[in-house]
Amino acid sequence: MPVLRARHLAPTANVKAFLVAGSLTIVGWDRDSIVVRGRLRPGDGFYLAGGDSAVKFGVENRSGKRDPMPSDLAVYVPRRGRLSIKTVTANVTASDVSGWFYSVSGSLRFTGSATSLEALTMSGNVDLAVTTPWVRARTGSGYLLLRGSPQDVDVATVSGRLDFAAAGVLRAQVVSVSGDIHYTGTPARGSIADFSNHSGAVELALPPSASGVFTLSSVSGPIENGFRSVRPAGSPTQGLRITLGRGDSQVIVRTFKGAIRLKAQQ
Amino acid sequence: MNDSTTHLTEEERQTLADGTIAADREAAARAHLLVCAECADDVARLEQLTMRARHLEDPTSDLAELWPGIRSRIENAKLVTLAPDSPARRWRRPRPMLMTAGLIAVLVLAVWLGARTRSAPDRAPSAQGGGTGDTSRSVVFVSDSVRAYEEEAKILLDRLELTRSGLEPGAAAAIDKDLAVIDSAIAELQTAIARDPRNPALQQLLATSYREKVEVLKRVSNAG
Repeated sequence: MPVLRARHLAPTANVKAFLVAGSLTIVGWDRDSIVVRGRLRPGDGFYLAGGDSAVKFGVENRSGKRDPMPSDLAVYVPRRGRLSIKTVTANVTASDVSGWFYSVSGSLRFTGSATSLEALTMSGNVDLAVTTPWVRARTGSGYLLLRGSPQDVDVATVSGRLDFAAAGVLRAQVVSVSGDIHYTGTPARGSIADFSNHSGAVELALPPSASGVFTLSSVSGPIENGFRSVRPAGSPTQGLRITLGRGDSQVIVRTFKGAIRLKAQQ
Repeated sequence: MNDSTTHLTEEERQTLADGTIAADREAAARAHLLVCAECADDVARLEQLTMRARHLEDPTSDLAELWPGIRSRIENAKLVTLAPDSPARRWRRPRPMLMTAGLIAVLVLAVWLGARTRSAPDRAPSAQGGGTGDTSRSVVFVSDSVRAYEEEAKILLDRLELTRSGLEPGAAAAIDKDLAVIDSAIAELQTAIARDPRNPALQQLLATSYREKVEVLKRVSNAG
């Protein structure tokens, strides 16, 4: 059953949505309106309620006796709007939008630019390829990939792998409990990054031109320095301080028993 | 209702505390709690009471255990809020000179601490602890944050038990799995801290683990 709804919306309106299952594609655009297109299963209904400054929409079962079936929606919202999106298993793909996104097990994927972004899931994957001043993301067992150009980053997993390949980050707090953390890139000048892991490994792959002070410490995990030409202070069994280039950034890595590897990219 | 001048109704306070407030009223009520300490305190007291009442094995058992909380709420209800220009409130109003002196003291302290930090020799980090002169202070600060996270986690765990039956099965399994991973890490860190209590790296790792536990438990509230 096709759905097509549209209405006027203020450029900075709040948009709230709840979708149990299926997929939700959200696109930020430069028009002062919201448009929703999609397909629903028989027995389910679409609602869009609210005024010019705030709307909410979603899919519900008409009888109220069961959860709605999976549905696929594409939504166009004002780029400067504030979104609050929640799903259970539905996957979210969003571009050029800002706000809060939550899914129990659905994946969350972002591209484009945002004023701020918060992406939280219990077990889904998170893929952030955005330009934004501030981003915060969490997943439990899912895979978290950070790309794009965020400035201030707070990302964490519990057991999922975390890949950090974003450029131009000025402040970063990167945490996992047992998932491996992989950083690839060049720390920005003046940046501060803090990596923490309990039992997972932390691997930093850096180009020869990287500049920073790397403070690496592990309680019982091994510390490997791949920059053979640089003489570290300290010892691999307690902690190393390695200065690359002019030391223009600060990177702190702390683990309990996970390995720490500083690798030189070829 | 959602401003600081009109307080929440009794029904709103009660339903906020036991989690049964209507969804369309919850946001406004919670927004009011942010600007009204009186309502926020009262709802917090009611939440504690509700929590404890639900944990009593026998709902008809002695109310003595709950009484201190109930009594506290009654006593608080007797308190009269002072008018803006009452003498007591005027007495509490911060004096500009005192504020200026306080600010200067804070700046002097900050400069002194900064100078101490800069003058410290460049040392290699130590995950085994005990290496720097600031270790004791670090351990105290981090221990405080560990305690704060631990307490918050306890409250959130209680809430999880109240809401667990309403969780989607997949969500409950994911939460349990995440908590098991984090609790295992916390247990290892606590064992290590018992052997080496003055190690700031261990304390920081413990604080981080508790922080992530709190984060997982906060996400639970959205999973229902």
